Order: sequence, then structure tokens, then C-alpha cells
Amino acid sequence: MAGWRTTEEQDKFSREAIVHLDHLYRVARYLVEEPDEAHDLVQETYVRALGSYEQFTPGSNMKAWLSRILYNFFFDHYRRKKRWVLIDDSSIDDSSKDEEYRSDYWEKVPAENPGPESHLLANELTTKITDALRKIPEEFRLPIVMVDMGDFSYAEAAEILACPVGTIRSRLSRGRRLVYSQLKGYVGVQDKGREKK
Amino acid sequence: MKCEEARELITALVDDELTHVERSSIEAHLDDCPRCQWAYQQERVLKREIHRTGLDVSAPADLKRQILTRHGILPVEAESLSGWSKIALTFRPFLRPALGLVLVLLVLLPIIYLVRPHSQPISLAALEIQEKIAGGQISLRKATSQIELRDWQTRAVDGKFAPMEYDLSSMHVRPIGGLVQEINGRKILVTVYTGNDMSVTCFTFLGTEEDAPKNATTFFDTAKQIKFYTFSKDGLNAVFHREGDVICILASKIPVNDLLALARKTEPA
Repeated sequence: MAGWRTTEEQDKFSREAIVHLDHLYRVARYLVEEPDEAHDLVQETYVRALGSYEQFTPGSNMKAWLSRILYNFFFDHYRRKKRWVLIDDSSIDDSSKDEEYRSDYWEKVPAENPGPESHLLANELTTKITDALRKIPEEFRLPIVMVDMGDFSYAEAAEILACPVGTIRSRLSRGRRLVYSQLKGYVGVQDKGREKK
Repeated sequence: MKCEEARELITALVDDELTHVERSSIEAHLDDCPRCQWAYQQERVLKREIHRTGLDVSAPADLKRQILTRHGILPVEAESLSGWSKIALTFRPFLRPALGLVLVLLVLLPIIYLVRPHSQPISLAALEIQEKIAGGQISLRKATSQIELRDWQTRAVDGKFAPMEYDLSSMHVRPIGGLVQEINGRKILVTVYTGNDMSVTCFTFLGTEEDAPKNATTFFDTAKQIKFYTFSKDGLNAVFHREGDVICILASKIPVNDLLALARKTEPA
């Protein structure tokens, strides 16, 4: 754990830490409701990280370390406030009915070589996904944010969120189905995707 | 295997997080179950779209400025006085000979400067990179994700600065790749955006407004309090501006006024 003790090393640490600003802000935006809160959450994360930089093990995963600090601060200070509006996930029909996977809308969205029209649709899809993520319970949303947006492995996500790896896998599976169920056909693949491997 | 049992395995297959045994098991099931094969394809697409959605969120420029200022995170060139004091103390025995060397250099350097062939400004040299990319002489590192590209470029300059990024998604223009080049010992981060039948290249490097070409046309944006320099070379238009120690040049074949409007209108992401 010892390390980063000189001013030069501290400066190097700071510069490396700032590289992960966008990632931290992204996670924060999906943790709290208001942009100002995300702003504060990220600011405080850097205060804590740079104030305890000597606890970081050089060579380990700084992005994961910073994410853990951000999540811990959120857990300690924001969970007492009003939480996300939770939906009753048991009421969501996310069963794997074939007809749910079909989408006439998707037929308009080429997966490759998107043109101007598809960009418009892609932007709409981005909004839909953002809305869907914000509606699902936090315990399902966070693994998605960490793994799908943060590119963390299950093990890294489990360490950040302080839960078993198996929980990450099950919540991801459930969480993605919850998101999918709210997209109402915006995400899909064309019939060629049904071909056997 | 029942389809219900396959659900989590499909998720882990999408994420490449399966053991060898699990992978064999689920792949065998997918071969026999069109419904789960369909679910697998859907989940792959969903993961890709969620990842893409995440890329649309980046920290506001004012947040970055606040954090940099609050914690004194500065480029190496602007290190603190105490840091210099420590260095001076460490090298005190060598100060006198070093001072003599500096005096000699002060005499020699102007002479060397006068006799050597003058190289073109870095801003014009940067545009040659664009020509080399277009001519296939140098290839881009493909952007698997904007974050990965930015992290790679930032690491290439030891975190001293990051590539200036633009959100041109409203114009359907997105980053496709980048590279790091060195001109006269100075590193330049190059990011290429394409889409909608146009291409814009962003060059980012540390410098001052002295790096703008002497014959550039200047434009002062009173609202942003930023001076923009426009210039052209071999059919390529460019807009140069400075934010702190970081210089950004946007280069494209689109008309220079359109490019200037783009640089002025677009807040760095």
C-alpha cells in the first residue's frame, strides 16, 4: 500500500486520476438524479481520492479504485436522501416471448454503416436507454453502468459495489431484461440474427 | 438445459465471462434453441447500445476546470515553486558549472537559430499529418470507444494533457480513430471525426498562440473571450484556438467560415 509519497509521485497520481473524470461523471449521473448532485459527487470523489492517494497501490486499477470511492461516498451520503423512483420490477413482464423481441421499428435501423436517418433514430434510442436505466431499481442499474458503460469485468464490478460476482451476473441479466422491456422494440436485431451459431 | 437456466449464462456469454465448461454448455443449448439464440442476439445488441449511450455522457468542461484548479493539477511545465526549490537544493553542487553552460548556450543558440533552416510552424506541420492520413501513409488507431482512445492518447503524453474532444453527434459526426505524432519534439494528439459525408480532424498539443501561423486571420469571440485563428493549406481549412496551455486545431475541407462557426458554436465535450 505504501507508495506515491513524493510530490512528483503525487502530481503523477493526480494527472492519472483526472483521466478518469468522464467515467466518474458518467457513473455519478446514473447514481443521482440531478446534474448538480453528480457534479458534487465527482468533486468529493477527487477530494477523497487525492487526499488519500497514498492508500492507492501503484500499478493497480485506478479507475476501479476511484469508482469505489465514488460509490462509497454515494452510499454513505446520498442514500439517506430521496432515492430514485423505484418501479415494481415484479410487475414488468420481461419474459422471453418471441414477439417481444420482434420490432418493425428496428427494421429501419441498420446496424452497420448508419446513415443520417439512422443517426436520428440512434439519438432517440440513446434517450430511450437513458430513461429506461433511470427507471429501473438501482441494484440492477449499477451493474449495467459498471460493466456495460465502465467496461469493468464482473470481478471488478463486484469489488466496487461490494457484492459477490454471482450477484453481478444475476443482476446484470435481470437488469438488462428490465431495460429491454422498457425499450418497446427500439432495440433488436433483424431476423438474420436468429440464425444458429 | 431449460431456457430459464440459460438466461444468466446468456448474459455471461455476452460479457465473455464464462468458464470453459459453462461456455460449452450454453453454446450447445443455443444450437438447439432458436428462442435463446434470439435472446442472445438481442442482449448483444442491447449491451452495445448501452455502451454507446454511455459515451454520450462526459464531464462538463467547468467541472474539469474546477477540479484541476482546486487540486492544483497542472501540466509539468507549471510545477510549484517548492518543487523547483527542492530540485535546486539537490543539484546545488552542479549549479556553478551549469550556470557557465547556460551562458555559453545563450551566446551559441541565437547563432544556431540564425544559421539553421527555419522549420514551418507546428500548426502548419500538423496539417501535413492530415495529408498523410488521407494518403494512407500513416494509419489511425481505430476507436473501439472514445474513452479507450482518449485514455490511450493521454497516457502517450504521460497525462500532461488530454485530447480536446467535440460532441458533433448532432451533426451525425463521430470520432473514428486517432493517433499520436511528434513534431519538433512536441507531441500532438490527433482525433479524426467522420460522418454525414464530412471529416473533421482535431489536433491537440501544448503550446501558445505564438504557434498560430503568422499569416492567419484572427477573429475574437467576445462572448467566449477566445481568439480564433483561421488559415488554409493545400485545400485544407483550419481553425486554431487556445484553452489554457492547450492548443486545438480543427481541420477540414468544409468552408472555413463553416469550420469557424463549428469551433465557436461547439463546446468541447
